[in-house]
Amino acid sequence: MRPCVGIVALGAANRRSIESALERAGAATRFVSEPVAVGPCDALVIPGVAHFGFVAGELDRGELRPALLAACAAGVPILGICVGYQLLFECSEEAPQAQGLGIFSGTVRRLRTPRVPHMGWNSIEPLADSSAIGRGWAYFANAFAPDPDVPNAIATTSDGIDRFASAAQAGTVSGVQFHPERSGAYGAQLLERFVRSAATAYVG
Amino acid sequence: MLAKRIIACLDVRDGRVVKGRRFLGLRDAGDPVERALAYRDDGIDEIVVLDVSATLESRLANRRTIEAIARALDVPLTVGGGVREIDDVARLLDAGADKVSINSAALARPQLLSDAASRFGSQCVVISIDARRDANGYAIASHSASRPYARDPFDWARQAQTLGAGEVLLTSIDRDGSREGFDLDLVRGVSAAVSLPVVASGGASTPESFASVLQAGADAALGASIFHDGDARASDVKRACRARGLTVRP
Repeated sequence: MRPCVGIVALGAANRRSIESALERAGAATRFVSEPVAVGPCDALVIPGVAHFGFVAGELDRGELRPALLAACAAGVPILGICVGYQLLFECSEEAPQAQGLGIFSGTVRRLRTPRVPHMGWNSIEPLADSSAIGRGWAYFANAFAPDPDVPNAIATTSDGIDRFASAAQAGTVSGVQFHPERSGAYGAQLLERFVRSAATAYVG
Repeated sequence: MLAKRIIACLDVRDGRVVKGRRFLGLRDAGDPVERALAYRDDGIDEIVVLDVSATLESRLANRRTIEAIARALDVPLTVGGGVREIDDVARLLDAGADKVSINSAALARPQLLSDAASRFGSQCVVISIDARRDANGYAIASHSASRPYARDPFDWARQAQTLGAGEVLLTSIDRDGSREGFDLDLVRGVSAAVSLPVVASGGASTPESFASVLQAGADAALGASIFHDGDARASDVKRACRARGLTVRP
């Protein structure tokens, strides 16, 4: 049976794009917009394409924050994408009053580069001690990102001037600053790995 | 290192790809899903879909066409055509777009750009600017180039950036479908006016023409007829770019 991946619907994402990509990667999908919908999911994706302040507000409006933290504590695989990745950190310069989930320590800051947003394909460079992510090219569309030396970083990317953490992982929770749903074969492999982890999350 | 992007544009009408010259005389250029996937296989970095009659017919871009392309595609998809209000942006994202391009409605009501940026983030909001040369330099036009404005594209691009747009899709009306090469002066001017990524459009003629406009300051270069007619493939364009020392995605 296909593992069920819940796409956390925070009102503003390119969720159809994620839905199609997860289905291509072998998952059954459902949209999750209330806490009770979190339980039946084998894994969760927090998608991107939104303002940090807006999605942080949506988390609280839908009372999803405690449900996501509980899923994290229970070892449910969670993948954050773009703003969904940033939401895994403590806070962001994009909306200084808003609170992230704080699963990863560190904050998200504006890119210090002449042309922002950082828009297009760039290379993912895994950190030396990490086998959690492969080298490759992925599609980005971001004006903000975490520092390259945040504790959970597993890969970094540079736009030629500013380097940032393009992927992070802690236990079963991972996040990527790029868009795997729109990153060709490289992104598809990452999502297939994630869907496989959902299928085996409770085994052993 | 951020790669320069090569983009294919699908102008669509009634579920088919069409292409004209200077926005006029549209002819059929195939099925949108087949075209999008063929270009993806050739190494294209992004697809732009513009529903060219949407604004003129006072409707939003055709949802079924967008959904079909979005479901099959695994590279980024920008969609434009007939966006009038913030809910239209939500509708196109919900149909599978990753970025939404706004043109005529932003000129009529610039606040739409800031509303869209504060809800969806700047990275998702593309300001589409169509401009042509005139006696005083350049002037912009809306409604598929049919309505001229007494305003230059540099000033408008700057204002759009301040309002929250995250990318400029810059089309030379004079060069659209002409195969005469990109308007390098227009691209230089807008690239200097804003700190946003600029996508150059209109006039793609040879693989080298893409390299030239990217060297002139564009972050991405877009072609339509050149790809539809099979005169060049994305892989040919990238080879030409590499030969000039530009970084492109393998």
